[in-house]
Amino acid sequence: MVHRRTCTFLATILIAALGVTAVARAAAPPASAEFFELKIRPLLAKNCYACHTATKLGDLQLDSREHILKGGKSGPAVVPGNPEESLMIQAVRRSHERLKMPPTGKLKDEEIEDLATWIKAGAIWPETVAPAPATTEYVIRAEQRAFWSLQPVGKPEVPAVKDQSWPKSDIDRFILAKLESEGLKPVAPAGKHALLRRVTFSLTGLPPTPEEMKDFVGDSSPDAYAKVVDRLLASPHYGERWARYWLDLARYADGRIGAADDTPYANAYRYRDWVVEAFNNDLPYDKFVKAQIAADLLPEPERTSLLPALGFQALGPNPDDRLDVTTRTFLGFTVACARCHDHKFDPIPTKDYYSLVGVFRSSDYKEFPLVGKDIVDAYQKHQKKIQEKQEAIKDFIDERTLELSDMLGTQTASYMMAAWKLISGECKDAAQAAEADGLDRETVERWVRYLKDANKEHPYLKSWYETTARNAPLAEVKKSAEEFQDFIVALNLERNEIEDRNYVKLGGAKGVKDEKTRQYANLEFLDLEKYYLWRDLASEPYTKSGFKFVGGVHYYGPKEIDRFLSGEWKRHLDRMRADLEVLKKASPPEYPFLHTLADSEKPKNAKVAIRGDVKDVGEEAPRRFLAVLCAGDPPPFQNGSGRLEMAEAIASPSNPLIARVLVNRVWQLHFGEGLVRTLSNFGQLGERPSHPELLDYLAHRFMENGWSIKALHRDILLSAVYRLSTEHSAKNYERDPDNRLLWRARLRERLDAEALRDSLLAVAGSLDRTVGGPPVPITDEMKRRTLYGLVSRTKPDPMLTLFDFPNPNDTSEQRMVTIGPLQRLYFLNSPFVAQQAKALAERLQKEAGPDDNAKIARAYELLYGRPAGESEIQMGREFLRESNGSWPQYAQVLLSSSEFFSLN
Amino acid sequence: MERREILRWMGAGFGMVGLKSVLHAASEGAKAPHFPAKAKQVIFLYLNGGLSQVDSFDPKPALAKYNGQPMPGPKIKTDRASGNLMRSPFEFKKCGKSGIEVSEIFPKVGELIDDFCVIRSMYSDNGNHGPSMLLMNCGHQLPGRPSLGSWITYGLGTENQNLPGFVVLCPGFPVMGPVLWSSAFLPNAHQGTYIPNNEREPEKLIRDIRNQQLSVGEQQRQLALLDRINNAYLQRVGTQPQLEAGIRSMEVAARMQTEAPEAFDITKETEATRGRYGDDDFGRGCLMALRLIERGVRMVQVYYGNFQPWDSHDDIRVHGQLGRAADVPIAALIQDLKSRGLFDETLVIISSEFGRTPMIQNSGLEKIGFGRDHNVPGYCTLLAGGGVKGGMTYGATDEFGFKAVENRVHPHDLHATVLHLLGIDHTRLTYRYSGRDFRLTDVHGNVIKDILA
Repeated sequence: MVHRRTCTFLATILIAALGVTAVARAAAPPASAEFFELKIRPLLAKNCYACHTATKLGDLQLDSREHILKGGKSGPAVVPGNPEESLMIQAVRRSHERLKMPPTGKLKDEEIEDLATWIKAGAIWPETVAPAPATTEYVIRAEQRAFWSLQPVGKPEVPAVKDQSWPKSDIDRFILAKLESEGLKPVAPAGKHALLRRVTFSLTGLPPTPEEMKDFVGDSSPDAYAKVVDRLLASPHYGERWARYWLDLARYADGRIGAADDTPYANAYRYRDWVVEAFNNDLPYDKFVKAQIAADLLPEPERTSLLPALGFQALGPNPDDRLDVTTRTFLGFTVACARCHDHKFDPIPTKDYYSLVGVFRSSDYKEFPLVGKDIVDAYQKHQKKIQEKQEAIKDFIDERTLELSDMLGTQTASYMMAAWKLISGECKDAAQAAEADGLDRETVERWVRYLKDANKEHPYLKSWYETTARNAPLAEVKKSAEEFQDFIVALNLERNEIEDRNYVKLGGAKGVKDEKTRQYANLEFLDLEKYYLWRDLASEPYTKSGFKFVGGVHYYGPKEIDRFLSGEWKRHLDRMRADLEVLKKASPPEYPFLHTLADSEKPKNAKVAIRGDVKDVGEEAPRRFLAVLCAGDPPPFQNGSGRLEMAEAIASPSNPLIARVLVNRVWQLHFGEGLVRTLSNFGQLGERPSHPELLDYLAHRFMENGWSIKALHRDILLSAVYRLSTEHSAKNYERDPDNRLLWRARLRERLDAEALRDSLLAVAGSLDRTVGGPPVPITDEMKRRTLYGLVSRTKPDPMLTLFDFPNPNDTSEQRMVTIGPLQRLYFLNSPFVAQQAKALAERLQKEAGPDDNAKIARAYELLYGRPAGESEIQMGREFLRESNGSWPQYAQVLLSSSEFFSLN
Repeated sequence: MERREILRWMGAGFGMVGLKSVLHAASEGAKAPHFPAKAKQVIFLYLNGGLSQVDSFDPKPALAKYNGQPMPGPKIKTDRASGNLMRSPFEFKKCGKSGIEVSEIFPKVGELIDDFCVIRSMYSDNGNHGPSMLLMNCGHQLPGRPSLGSWITYGLGTENQNLPGFVVLCPGFPVMGPVLWSSAFLPNAHQGTYIPNNEREPEKLIRDIRNQQLSVGEQQRQLALLDRINNAYLQRVGTQPQLEAGIRSMEVAARMQTEAPEAFDITKETEATRGRYGDDDFGRGCLMALRLIERGVRMVQVYYGNFQPWDSHDDIRVHGQLGRAADVPIAALIQDLKSRGLFDETLVIISSEFGRTPMIQNSGLEKIGFGRDHNVPGYCTLLAGGGVKGGMTYGATDEFGFKAVENRVHPHDLHATVLHLLGIDHTRLTYRYSGRDFRLTDVHGNVIKDILA
């Protein structure tokens, strides 16, 4: 349906442009301009232009006669008059050994025929109509707008099917029509046990209990299954499961996004809990979206209840990151590609990127306190005091440290001579050497260490080493030391002067000292070698790349300066430190708050940064929505940052992407694959839908149902296609090995990290089912659902990582499923699994009594949601006999089995 | 579980556990290359953060001459504002018979320079660590493509069924993390097995490698039961390749318990050998790499350190420490590969994602900075061993070491060359996914013929 509409739409435009009539259309001869415009150009535009216009993949451009004759790397694309020899025809027929085009799927036979006819007639390319534009001003071409995902969501007709008995809903008719057209038949439905286990995991991420299984199997009423779906949708654990999927997209973790070091956010979980609630309350999706972009700008009374949603944006400080996650999550478009250049594949000019980023840059991070203003003020006032005191102490010590280093510099020669006495062996005792000249003992020792290693990164001690190496008379050594001292005194002076001038350049005491300011402040520096010497003397110790650099010879920092201070200096420092301790103790606890956004006071348009270079700015981009999602020129946003208007445009029923992208995500989570498999890319590089009409049907119905995600689940879960078994069918497999047409259910080879850990706890009877609250570190003793485990941005939990928990620093559309030996070692040997096995063994004893058969049967019900077979009971009994009745060992085997962590 | 006990069990034959049938279905033994290979295995030593070419293997006397002056010529673009040219604080010496100049921070590698091919004309596409690391490791700037190691094990299979075919060692994580060794859409048996090598004991190195409670006999009994249960399940659900792969991975896991602690246990080497590698993470990583290569692991990648140690924005002097620390185990590894007869069949790659600017970076976070920024247009990569000419330099950067100007080499070209050395035609190693054929080099890549021995 979508395809047909697309073509009609294109044809209408072209017919209008050429002034040809529908009559001409039918009669257009192959060697005419009309034939080209009606049949060939739309075909090329739709199937080839994504890669073969300016992008020139394979060096091939298909946008003018000249270009097709010139061809690409493999040679001319078209030989006029000879379709058989034309690479284009070989490629679209897929008869060429290597070239098989278009990559997204074979053209229809009649389309291939049209191309061949056109080439045979001489490949006429009318010159009256310009080829694809090559102007600098980006113009979205009609064929780009005609892309499938940008078409309005239609209400496709439900197709007719031959087998009337199989479908349970319209969804099934779409599926079946396609299967029938390919000559395929759906396999048998799943049994009740498999179905309950599947749907319970689908909606709650937990296994069904034996009691739930018994109820369902025993319920022979026609709506037994529908009742189950409703029960699960009403469970608080539904929201937990589906929130976790959403949190993957939202790159949620319990810390700041983009921080180099772990920066925990103790309040981040309030966003997580809001998402759980939103799913449980079935908050309409359009509201759900708007809240996560602009809750702060929505009217009361809902504003306050929706504010936590802004965690989606506000857990990270970067406008570009916010734009990226917003567009990929809600629109399924990779707008961020246009940051440095016009999007190579999708109609998103760089200017559009800056139109949107202007909105994000005009929005500021804001903490929204959950307590009264007085409490906030008191806390902040107190924190400010602490900070001021800390700074005062640091400044005081830094000044003393530098002064001391300068002072010691003026005595360099004495120290070097004292050190020399020790190095040369004239004197054995450092204390003695220091005392003799009234010097500081530790500094003498430091000089000894420094001078002993002749490997220096500056040349200024060359004369010293040369003199001492040849055992020169003491007077000469002394002279060398004095010359070095003069150099150091001058160096310290030079360095201090440079610092003073840099201080002014950076704006003095009130100046900004961040990295960016420093970059552009044209600061002065010491010469490299002088710097190394200065650093050897005065720098503080530091660790870099795992290497510890000891401090400079003259450096005495906060931990060591005290012994050089006395009298009022020392008393002053002690007083300040004591005050700080008192202040810290008196500090009120940090108040709870939400991470939110607010419009900046003066919203501004962003300027286009050419090739992404912030220093090379071009024209201003008015804050407005993406042109390709608007009918004409998008009007500039009127209010504040424009964030609310942007949110409304994104969550609008007339936005062709918003509903399609969401229903596809939900479909993927139930079936293992999306109708569009590239979940966050509905653009040219994304895949085309396997069932475009069904996608539209679902999207349309979703909006009709008031954007209710629960209603969408219900539609999908009650379909016959969801209830299929995973049974194999050789005939179907041969035609559709990837099961794209859904002739059977997809076996899930492994539960994700959360479902796996939660299930281990659930079947062992140790799961704590409390909903919501602050994050808890994931340890073997943590019995909450894994959703509530602390997620660090920099130190990923090893268990979660092992089972493909996504990188929380980037939006993640789908879990990877890897299966490797290290995962199996986890089951074989980890203390956590052993612990759950033990708990499970105890549970079996408690719930099934002393009878081995009953216990084994109970285990199968708990773990696999089905009764144990006779041979399985036998296997268990044999094992128990051989292992002297070690139930924990038996339980561990059952927990390690493929059936436990896969979904059939 | 005692090792001796396990070996006895292994000796008794794994067949008794009865996974043979499954093994047969999903066998992943060695596969034949496209043409006779020069190298069989790969060690990739990754200096994450960005090795400065002008301070290591690409000497530029002009930097001393123009020290403190702007680079002559039109204003060039760098990632951030960069300042005037800065000479290297390190001295270069002519080394080996070939007389290739090497910085004093790599003295031991300098002594072995006749074994190395120094590519001085690498260039990349992106000035940020993440995308450039992805390009270097997976041939594409965005996540979602299989890594070099995954392609290699996909192409050649593995020679040791008891160990993973592709092992990644890193104390912590490099920037981007696991996507750098992802198998993406390739079968996930080809994913790199990540081992955080900052741990010293094999039991801590590989989580859960040993069962602390059960005896060998007990676990053997468990595995036998598990096998029966899994096979029954497999029978019930029918043909499901991924399930089979999963069951097979259990077998590898069981065998890893015996072989992995041994393979990763560097205390099995003599004290003298260990001493030559040094006792830091990278040193131990290099020695582990040697032991894994000896045992037939196809590719071992050793990341120098957590995050990005070589990212010397503030002070290039740190490169002195890094270089001297990396130098020791690299040289020891080359020597040991030779003495154990593995050098000719093992390709050693030493590289970063990009180089560092010949200019000073103005943005030091320290009070006074003497660092260098990221340099995308020119950097260097070293190759040694399997099928590569030693004692040669290839390509060149301009007078200042900024931009590769002669015989430019892109990561795609490097990848094409690495695959070629392994007997794989990079244009023919493809995998059909999402409606098109993918390859490591996308539609690019030229084998660097001049460096082939």
